[in-house]
Formats: sequence, C-alpha cells, structure tokens
Amino acid sequence: MSTGNYILSLWLFSVLMLFLETGNVHAQSSNFKDNIYPVGKLKPRDSVLTLKPGDSAPDFTLPAVDGGTITLSQYRGKKNVVISFVPAAWTPVCSDQWPGYNIAQDLFVKNDAILLGITVDNIPTLYSWTKQMCNPGEKLWFPVLSDFYPHGDVASKYGVLRSNGVSERALFVIDKNGVIRYIDVHDINQRPPLEELATALEKLNQ
Amino acid sequence: MMSHPYPDHRIRKTHRGIVLFIFILLFSFGCVSSETKSSSIISPTKPSPPPEKKITLPIFEFPIPQNKWEKNYLGVSGSGNCKITQINTSVLIIEVFSMYCPHCQRSAPFVNDLFQTIQGRRDLKEQIKMIGIGVGNSPYEVDLFKNKYGILFPLFPDQDGSISKMLGVSGTPTFIGARINRDGTTERFYFTSGELTDAAIFLSELLNLSGLKQEDKQ
Repeated sequence: MSTGNYILSLWLFSVLMLFLETGNVHAQSSNFKDNIYPVGKLKPRDSVLTLKPGDSAPDFTLPAVDGGTITLSQYRGKKNVVISFVPAAWTPVCSDQWPGYNIAQDLFVKNDAILLGITVDNIPTLYSWTKQMCNPGEKLWFPVLSDFYPHGDVASKYGVLRSNGVSERALFVIDKNGVIRYIDVHDINQRPPLEELATALEKLNQ
Repeated sequence: MMSHPYPDHRIRKTHRGIVLFIFILLFSFGCVSSETKSSSIISPTKPSPPPEKKITLPIFEFPIPQNKWEKNYLGVSGSGNCKITQINTSVLIIEVFSMYCPHCQRSAPFVNDLFQTIQGRRDLKEQIKMIGIGVGNSPYEVDLFKNKYGILFPLFPDQDGSISKMLGVSGTPTFIGARINRDGTTERFYFTSGELTDAAIFLSELLNLSGLKQEDKQ
C-alpha cells in the first residue's frame, strides 16, 4: 500500500469512527435523559412456581430502603399483604409499575392491605431508583425491600427467581392469616393490569 | 513475486467509491439527526419548537363518553365510537399519558391548569378542546388517574397502544396540537414530549403555532 493510500485509509477510518462515536453519544444522551436501560424483549417466564393459592406464604426478613428490616410475619393478624416482585431497577416496565401503585394507595388502604415491593437490587440502587419515581421531598408510600444478599433468596423461596438472577414480575396476595390467596407470575415484558389485583384484593373480604 | 490483482486505476475508483459512500452516509445521518431534533423531545417549558411542515393528524376513533358534561364538551352524542374530526372544536389538544408514568403524574396539576385557563377564556373556550389518551392503560387505570388528579377533560384508554402508535408517540407525556377543519381534514401543528411544568408558557406556544385569533382581553 502506497503512502497516499495509507493516509487516505487512515482518514476514512477516522471519519468512520467519528461517525460511530457521534451515534453512541446521541443514544447515551437519550438514555441519560430517562435513566432507563433498554432490555429488549425477554423470555416471558423463566422460573418454576412452587407455591399455589392456599399455601402458607414463606416468611422472610429483608432490609428496607428506608432503613431497618421488614419481616412478613409482622403483618400476621394485622394486614393483608401484597408482594410485588419486579425484575430489576432502571429497566423499562419495572420503572413505571411502582409509580402506578404509588398513586393507588387508596385501593390498598380500603382493602386493609400493605404493599411490599421487592427486587434483587441492593439498597443504594433501590434508593436512587425509587427516589426519581416521586416528587422532590416525597417517597413511595410502601416499603421497598432488597433481596440482594443472599442473592434472590426470597424470590427463590417463592419460586420466581429467573435463571439470570433477577426475579419474575410477580404479585402475591397474602391474607391476614399468612395464606397465599392470589398469584400472578406475569409476562416479564408486560405490566399486570391493576384491576386484576383490585379484584383479588376485594375477594379477600368476601 | 505475486502481482497486485487489480490495476491502479481500479484501486483509485474503489477509493473514490468509498469516499462517496462515506459522504452519503454522513449526509444521511445529518438529515436523520436534524429530523429527530425538530420532531419532538423538547420540554414544553423550553422555547417554542420550530414550526413543523404541514402534517396531517391521523384520524382515530374513541368511545363516546357516557358522561353528559363530557359529551356536551366534545359536542358529540349517542353511543358507540366517533372520530376525532367529529369533535366540535377548531383546535384539539391531545395528551398521551399513562397512569404509571411519574412525569404524567407530575404534569397532571399543570395540565389541569391548562384546561382551566382555556375554559376561563371566552375567546378560547369553544375553539380549543382537550382529550387524554392513556397508552397501555385499561379503563380502570384511566379512571384511577382521572379521579386521583381530578382531571375534568375526557380521558380514553388506549390499552393496546394502537392509537399512540398511529400518532407516532414514543414517550409519555406527549402533547399534540392539531387543527380540526370543518371539511373533516386535520393539521398537526404541535408535537412535543416531556413533563409540562408551566401551563401559561405551553398555551402561549400552542396559540402562536395554532393560527387561532385571540382577543387581547381574557
């Protein structure tokens, strides 16, 4: 290759790299704007459920974003409990599921239920993620728990831990006696319609 | 010794072809990039988006509200579905939202402000109507959002996202302004995505682009 051809190739390569880099910056800028990592379409379900309605809900204790720990059995005889497992912080569907629940507090209150949000992320990640779901100075009305260590232990006990270490998008409704009354292991790519959970909660009182 | 498989002039031609290809590629990228900037993703509180070329608003159907006030507001009657071109208005503002979207939740009080401001101005009240499209939301979820924020203008679910897709919406909230002409044609003159944080600025931008005549006094 002559010197002329070498310089020409080098120039072309530089221009091409500049072009590719510009494309990346453009995409990153968009991601930073929304802070959401695009995961694409995933296998709808990737775990084997071991529990069924009528079973006792496995007890657990997990650290909460607000500090301290929450134990499921502390609500026994006091509150119905809805557990919302979502796969991961900063991902598309998960990032708008809990903000929806955040404006649906009345639905839970009128059915004497508490909501526990659980992911396999660590506390600092959950802190940042849930903070941007609310207005400045506000926070989610329900406890958010970290199933980070031992990793996915609670998700595993409930049979909703996927092979890649995140949980399914799953809802469990547990009555005041600690009995599971409703399970929805949803397609991970879709948000469960709220009315289905509302119907399950209303059935607790029938 | 092996000779080069191509004569020199073929090499030069190949290089010229590559250079031309790269220039075409860069030029194409430039066009796509500027199209992206002008089409949307500008916060409604920032300076006005550049006027768009005449774009038709896709005509979609929505269920006729059963609420009397909403029917009267939109100027529709009966039951079943009707087309947006049947709404009795010169300008239609469409907010594409989701009950689950924190930005839509934060925008809700300002969107209410916008509605109240328009309703409070005798020169605009009959000329601008608002509707909301709840993308990916069920009727239950749309009702929850409406009740939570006391939204007065009609909201409709778009559970399968088909309307939002037709409108070219990729994020929420998205605000669309369109002229609804008497001959049944439409013209979209405003399209922006992002949180609404100032109803007055939004309305001012929208009015500037709408071509509506305004009175000096409210």
